[in-house]
Amino acid sequence: MKLAAHYNKVNIIVTLSVLVVGAVIYFFAINTITNNRLDEELGEEVSEVISYIQQYKQLPKQFDIDENQVEFIKTNLLNSKPRYFDTTYVNPRKSGDKSGRAFEGGLSFKGDNYRFRIIISSESTVYLKQIITAITLILMLVVLTILSLANRYLLNDLWKPFFGLLAHMKAFNVSESSSFKLTNNKVDEFNDLDNAIGVMSSRVKNDFQNLKHFTENASHEMLTPLAVITSKLDTLIQDETLKKEHFDQIQDIYGAAGKLSRLNQSLLLLVKIENNLIADNDTLNLQQLINDKLRQFQELLTSKEIQIYAELEDKEVVVSKYLIDILLNNLLSNAIRHNQVKGNINIYLTGDRLVIQNSGSDVPLDGEAIFDRFQKGSTSDGAGLGLTIVKNICNVCGWDMQYLFINNLHTFSIVF
Amino acid sequence: MKILIVEDEQGLRENMLTYLSEDNNICESCADLATAITKLAGYQYDFVLLDIGLPDGEGFEILHYLKKEMRNEAVIIISARNSLDDRIKGLNIGADDYLVKPFHLAELKARIVAVFRRKAANSNNNLVFNEIVINLIGRTVFINDVEILLTRKEYDMLLYFIANKGKVIAKTALAEHLWGDEMDMHDNFDFIYSHIKNLRKKILDVTTNDYLKSVYGIGYKFTDK
Repeated sequence: MKLAAHYNKVNIIVTLSVLVVGAVIYFFAINTITNNRLDEELGEEVSEVISYIQQYKQLPKQFDIDENQVEFIKTNLLNSKPRYFDTTYVNPRKSGDKSGRAFEGGLSFKGDNYRFRIIISSESTVYLKQIITAITLILMLVVLTILSLANRYLLNDLWKPFFGLLAHMKAFNVSESSSFKLTNNKVDEFNDLDNAIGVMSSRVKNDFQNLKHFTENASHEMLTPLAVITSKLDTLIQDETLKKEHFDQIQDIYGAAGKLSRLNQSLLLLVKIENNLIADNDTLNLQQLINDKLRQFQELLTSKEIQIYAELEDKEVVVSKYLIDILLNNLLSNAIRHNQVKGNINIYLTGDRLVIQNSGSDVPLDGEAIFDRFQKGSTSDGAGLGLTIVKNICNVCGWDMQYLFINNLHTFSIVF
Repeated sequence: MKILIVEDEQGLRENMLTYLSEDNNICESCADLATAITKLAGYQYDFVLLDIGLPDGEGFEILHYLKKEMRNEAVIIISARNSLDDRIKGLNIGADDYLVKPFHLAELKARIVAVFRRKAANSNNNLVFNEIVINLIGRTVFINDVEILLTRKEYDMLLYFIANKGKVIAKTALAEHLWGDEMDMHDNFDFIYSHIKNLRKKILDVTTNDYLKSVYGIGYKFTDK
């Protein structure tokens, strides 16, 4: 739920309950006040009736006492307790039942006990109550509407810098060198947040830059010792007194040194790709590039007796020549390296995708993990960076890279 | 040929010195920028092998110096930095080639020979090794005046061998030279063997001298001894 909705919910519940409780208290208060007033009036009537009886020594007739109704009932009960109550009565001059306030009491007259009841109209107070209720209800509605409208506009306006900030953060890219832009606004809290994020992002960027430089420097520093190893080996093998066993050892050192230098190059390449440092885009004909690559790999293919089936449509891509070369190299050399002797490789290139399938192990690979750094099959002697590099190149180009295992074929597809 | 090696890593410097100090080459070496400039100011060289990352500055300064002094030493940059920018910068200031560390000494030698031949292209277009004559412009090979037809790979291989004649060349060095290191072969050298076999057979078809010798599975040696 959105913050505004949360706020509105709480706000409306609180306002409504306060208004309802207030209205109830208000209603009862007004009720009591008006009843008291009517009761006072009734009291006056009663004293009027009593003084009439004392003056004229007879019970008053209906018409003698204003328009209020007075009735006397002979009763045996002595001095029934006086009480005030709400009632309805029929006013002969007006049609229908009318609400009224009544007083009932007892009195003795000429030896008889009478119960008498005086009813006065409470019409005007009922009307007053109705009007007050209506006004209260309308007021409640108006207050609620105004509150929710005001909240909506106020919140939207107040939170505007927040959403701006959020959009900024979503677009945040650690490798971009542009610094975080502070938005100036009048709310102190947002200014604080802004500053905090600004500080945080610059620290993150700084750390990232340091890490990047570290990777770069470490890789570079390794290259010179590697060059020493290689040149020492190159010199060593000139020695004619060495025996076959020595050469076997040296061959292994060559292999390890080669692997190390390839690993280094891959790491440096990854750093470059991830930082978007390679941006020399050209329009290239992918069909032609793949054909060239296949020609280049011809010897490897024939040495493993691998059958190639290629169905290539004309397709142009805008990409760095260097990167697409690495991408095709990695995909094809994987397809060859993890293939069995006399296996197949199928390559399909259409307007929207490039699919490379190869036979090999019968067990599907973990489609998620294979693109992670240093993830490699148990039989692979690579560094486990090849597919990571491919994936990263795809990311840079905005392509989607997928792995599927279809009909016992390991299928890598790139969706442009 | 007189070669100046400017490289601060002692191990590498010494090995380059030993490897290149044959074939009547005179090699000198130094470890920093200042000494290199002093040496260049005092003597004339044919070749400068230049490391970029030197303790007292960037090797580019030597290129600037050579350009300013209108010298015609050939320069090959040897750098650990494999960035396109550095490469372009170096070649723009006047370097003739750019070699990224780590490299095989055989590769360095082949590059030196290639640059040297390119510089001297007008004077001599033929490369001669005993009875083998290679026409560098037509990319044709004659042995005892009989032309032998070589594939591109075999031709490149032959040039590489002749540039490093008398040296044992590791298979890895050969593979890297012919296929480039981006083609990741993971120690599968079977197909190198078939190229070697073909080249050897084509040479032996016209001459009795078997120059191409296999060395204990580590590599090959092209020698007339």
